[in-house]
Amino acid sequence: MMKIAVCFKIIADYDRMSPKDWAWDEHHIVDTRFVRRIFNCFEESALEMALKLSRPVENPSDKAELTALTIDDEKGDLFLKHLIAVGYDHGVRICCSRELDLRFNPMGISRLISAYIRQMGQTLVILGMQGGEGDNGQTGFLVAEQLGWPCVREVTEAIRTESPEFLKVTSRIDGASLVQIIKLPMVLIIGHSQESPYLRIPNLKQKLDAKKKQVTLLSEHELKVNNKIWFNTDKTLIDLQRQKTNQSCIFLEGKTARDQAQQLYNQYLKKRLPT
Amino acid sequence: MTLTRQAIVDHLIDIAGQDRVITDEQVLKENSHDRYKKLETIFGIYTTPIPAAVVKLADTKQVSDVLKFLNENKVNSVARTGGTATEGGLETIVENSVVLDGSQMNQIIKIDSTNMQATAQCGVNLGELEDRLREQGFTTGHSPQSKPLANMGGLVATRSIGQFSTLYGGIEDMVIGLEAVFPNGEITRIKNVPRRACGPDIRHVIIGNEGALCYITEVTVKIYKYFPENNQFLAWALDDMSLGFKILREVMVEGYRPSVARLYDAEDGSQHSFDQFAADKCVLMFMAEGNEYLANATARGIARVVEKYEECQPIDGRLIENWFDNLNWGPEKIAQERELIRKTQHMAYTTEVSGNWDCINTIYENAIKRIREQYPHMDDLTMLGGHSSHSYQTGTNLYFVYDYDVKDCKPEEEINKYHIALNALIVEETLKAGGSMVHHHGIGKYRTPWTRQEHGSAYYILKGLKDQYDPNGIMNTGTIYPVE
Repeated sequence: MMKIAVCFKIIADYDRMSPKDWAWDEHHIVDTRFVRRIFNCFEESALEMALKLSRPVENPSDKAELTALTIDDEKGDLFLKHLIAVGYDHGVRICCSRELDLRFNPMGISRLISAYIRQMGQTLVILGMQGGEGDNGQTGFLVAEQLGWPCVREVTEAIRTESPEFLKVTSRIDGASLVQIIKLPMVLIIGHSQESPYLRIPNLKQKLDAKKKQVTLLSEHELKVNNKIWFNTDKTLIDLQRQKTNQSCIFLEGKTARDQAQQLYNQYLKKRLPT
Repeated sequence: MTLTRQAIVDHLIDIAGQDRVITDEQVLKENSHDRYKKLETIFGIYTTPIPAAVVKLADTKQVSDVLKFLNENKVNSVARTGGTATEGGLETIVENSVVLDGSQMNQIIKIDSTNMQATAQCGVNLGELEDRLREQGFTTGHSPQSKPLANMGGLVATRSIGQFSTLYGGIEDMVIGLEAVFPNGEITRIKNVPRRACGPDIRHVIIGNEGALCYITEVTVKIYKYFPENNQFLAWALDDMSLGFKILREVMVEGYRPSVARLYDAEDGSQHSFDQFAADKCVLMFMAEGNEYLANATARGIARVVEKYEECQPIDGRLIENWFDNLNWGPEKIAQERELIRKTQHMAYTTEVSGNWDCINTIYENAIKRIREQYPHMDDLTMLGGHSSHSYQTGTNLYFVYDYDVKDCKPEEEINKYHIALNALIVEETLKAGGSMVHHHGIGKYRTPWTRQEHGSAYYILKGLKDQYDPNGIMNTGTIYPVE
């Protein structure tokens, strides 16, 4: 049976932060405790894609075993329960010692993930291409490297083939689509999915049932990733700066919408249209 | 003799000019509905008759001329400004209806800081009026979620209410005077005075008429000093709604007037991510505002009331403030919602009712219980809950919220299978317990089966208004008044 692990990250909904909220303390930690947390967008796509992959419409009984894996504190359990409610077989949370700062540490995170994958004998790992914090875009590649598995980035679709050992994987490369038949095991890094990027929503009964199920907790010690050197990075966080995203704007004058549209056309659109 | 579609259009062009009479098919389709039939319109299905024309009205005189023509020829009209109605009130259910679009009557006529009032044409967007007022240190105090899109005429026509209503009241408490045009072309102005005892308050013939009696062209509302820097958010988690209603009542009866007073059940709260800080709990929240003395006194007084109840666990007010700052629905959220529905066929609807303190919990419990026990498609529901968001000395409202995955039906069948069926159960339980079936969305076209029951013997008065002002029945047929 194919065993799929989807690694996801829960992040603060940065769209809900106003400029005044972007303040940090002496450890360069932005206080986001008052902002709701959401699935990182690429991983939301990955989670939904894995659900479809694990329950093929044409053969629903041919299920794969699905695990949702996150590295988080106890707040992550709510999201894991949600995933169990929509059909994940297992929700696993790796809870590290508080002194480990994993914010900008793809090496440390990838070691934890690959240790879990090895321990549980997973055959397919799916991750999002970037997290909202750090934006390093490295974790998936590092996981593949540590596992010694093939890795495909910018994956937009993954479907089963007639052989249970292979997947048909579509990815984007240089603006084109690449379709490959790849043998398991492998690591897939999800970019902009062709499928719905939205994770399905459980019904009331599924939510109630999921509440009764347990999330599996693991520490870095249980995964035998307890050498602090493995969490060292070659990066030191020196400072944080908020990117300025101000854009200039011009108000179109004109009494009516027609006048304004005409001005928009004359002054801005006409010269950009092909002659 | 009934005019043909083309004859209606030709006459309208004679009155309003070619530029103001729109007959583009897509525009007509978009003007045949509001936010009630979301799914079918997202999939390009329009099951209501397409209007003959949309008239972009220029001024009050033109409104009068157009209405007079429609009245003389018994052509149905549908008044429209921002188009954010949610109860089907803007649907053109009669063949060859004419949509009277007041969105271009969009001048802020006067901001009077001595008499503390602002006068605006019907097509003025509330958000723009608020922005203008706030630049000068004032506010209308009106802040419905639709503020970025809704216009003054529509807000008054539907008896809208805003998120700060517990302090400022509903739109009916804000409107001082109005200008409206009746179907016979009569232009009426109700003057702006603080109060008077000169017969019944005729403002209320116009406020909430939903385009079924007259066309609102101008509105004057109260304005208030604006002190956002003094806003204080308070919140608590608690186990059940009945305790929440009890505390809400106590806060109101003690005389406190927070601008926001809300109570969410655990299920409804979870879709606002309240489960991230109050899992499986109800959430009770308040916002105190005003000048610093008032804001401080209100916040302290409310805290004193709530903290008597040991079951209430305090929540960091910043969580609520951040959530509240992101609550409004602008065009981008509407577009996002439509995209989400298109991709997932997952819908969310509400039914808002009200009741006195002695029956509100009964309404809440009975409606939820009845849906759980009797609604045949419970497995498709992904959320069923509710909240109270507008409280009064005598009672509060209840906003039932239900989300569902559309399964095994065509887009045009969805509304009957889900929203109409669920809405009916809630309305029936509310009326049975003595509450009101509509708190602030208006009756529209889909709660008319219960209009008579809602008003009881007072339906005589309501019916009399229609008979008097719209004897030809050309004002938004099927809205408020059931089609005979």
